[in-house]
Amino acid sequence: MENKTKIKINGLSFFYNDHRVLNNITVSFPKNTITAIVGPSGQGKTTLMMILNRLWESIPETRMEGSVKIRFDDRFHKIYDQSYPLSQLRRLVGMVFQIPNPLPMSIYKNIAFPLKLAGVKDKGLISEKVETALKNAFLWEEVKDRLKDNAFALSGGQQQRLCIARALTLEPQILLLDEPTSSLDASAASVIEELMINLKDRCTLLMVSHYLDQVKRIADTVMELSDGKLFNLTSD
Amino acid sequence: MDRVLEKVGTGFSWICAMVLLGTVFCIVGYLLINGISTINIKLIFGETDPMNALLFRKQVFDGLFPAIIGTFALVALSVSFAVPIGLAAGIYMAEYCRGSLKKVFSLFFDVLAGIPSIVVGLFGFSVAIFLHKYFSSKVYPCLFISALSLAFLVLPYLIRTTQISLENLSEGIRRTAPALGATKLQNIFYVLIPRSLSGIASGVILSIGRCAEDTAVIMLTGVVVTSGVPKSVFSNYEALPFYIYYISSQYSDKQELLSGYAAAIILLIICGLLFMTTFFVKHRLTYHALYRP
Repeated sequence: MENKTKIKINGLSFFYNDHRVLNNITVSFPKNTITAIVGPSGQGKTTLMMILNRLWESIPETRMEGSVKIRFDDRFHKIYDQSYPLSQLRRLVGMVFQIPNPLPMSIYKNIAFPLKLAGVKDKGLISEKVETALKNAFLWEEVKDRLKDNAFALSGGQQQRLCIARALTLEPQILLLDEPTSSLDASAASVIEELMINLKDRCTLLMVSHYLDQVKRIADTVMELSDGKLFNLTSD
Repeated sequence: MDRVLEKVGTGFSWICAMVLLGTVFCIVGYLLINGISTINIKLIFGETDPMNALLFRKQVFDGLFPAIIGTFALVALSVSFAVPIGLAAGIYMAEYCRGSLKKVFSLFFDVLAGIPSIVVGLFGFSVAIFLHKYFSSKVYPCLFISALSLAFLVLPYLIRTTQISLENLSEGIRRTAPALGATKLQNIFYVLIPRSLSGIASGVILSIGRCAEDTAVIMLTGVVVTSGVPKSVFSNYEALPFYIYYISSQYSDKQELLSGYAAAIILLIICGLLFMTTFFVKHRLTYHALYRP
């Protein structure tokens, strides 16, 4: 079974204040795989991920060259086209940040938040999607009896799984994870690793990681970003 | 040497704090000692029966009640003018305005903050005269004109505190909702504003205090010594700060001076009540927006 390409990046260069961070990168990411991006700090790994959901556009004095195409509905879409709706893109490409950032609301409202943003009003549907998302994030059993509790009352590992669940609520096709386990202890990290492997058949995952052994354990492809260029480290 | 400097610095800070606290206690204490015995029903309602006065059935002629109502009405009206505009401008400055335009607007708002209140009062008076001459001869300095002028006075504080509270939110908080598909407006409304409510509330409290105490503006735009409870927003009105001013400059016996102290205490109580209302509203808003399951 051939792995279809999900993301195609062509000639990508990125500039912060005219300082070149990414240098003419051309790369493709296959569907339903975990790709890990490793490399020294401050080289642009997070920037590379933000290219895929256009989150860098709120940062001032930045510039991008090149094209990015993502396959949705059996067709490649140019996501930087003026006609492609930004909120739509971000519902299909979810992102989880390094430091867990639950909103100051109850656990339930946190997970339901993306649905509220998307205008979903059906309470039954929302409740169903919240449960599915929490189950996919391996958090349902731990919180099902206290969904109304403040999200800040959860432990660090649980908060990160909450953020993953929240990113999964709208069933994105791509999930971007920026060092998802760096602020967690080993056991919390291993739960998240297991959950990422579990998500592979639903999503294409891209993660930034500093932990090479973690990367060896779970990633299908490993790429290193240094000096603005991407090198494929997987030998096959 | 460093340790000595540290101790001196700490000691100096303590002294400053004590001086400040001490001053507040002295002022409030002085007012209370002189005025508390004068506060009674007669001072507020004069010869009129309190129930009739409270239900606006009969006018009060020799009590503080009309001034109390006038102050409440003035503060309520001016804050309701200033808050929506100040909030919107603050959001615009923090979220939408960029580059040299932002610098220009910042300069303008700083200039606005620095305008003396008497000048704002003169401006309000000129607007009233202009409207009287060219719009309708029924327009006079009144509660409405005063409220607009006071709104003008407190607008820079509201804009500044809103802008700063929004700008102080971390990048992590700002990116959470957009990463989940929120539009810019959704991010502002559902995440950024609820997080900045503390800062915005302090701006509103500052404005309330300013509107309640300012005398220069209201002297030129509609406050009078005796008018009774304001009949409409386009009528003259009484206010406590003005009462305190003219009674302390023109009192004829000790009793009148003591009533000035009493009026000052009542003004402080009104401000305290308005502050508590703001805190309560902020608390309910935060709860409703966020925690309600």
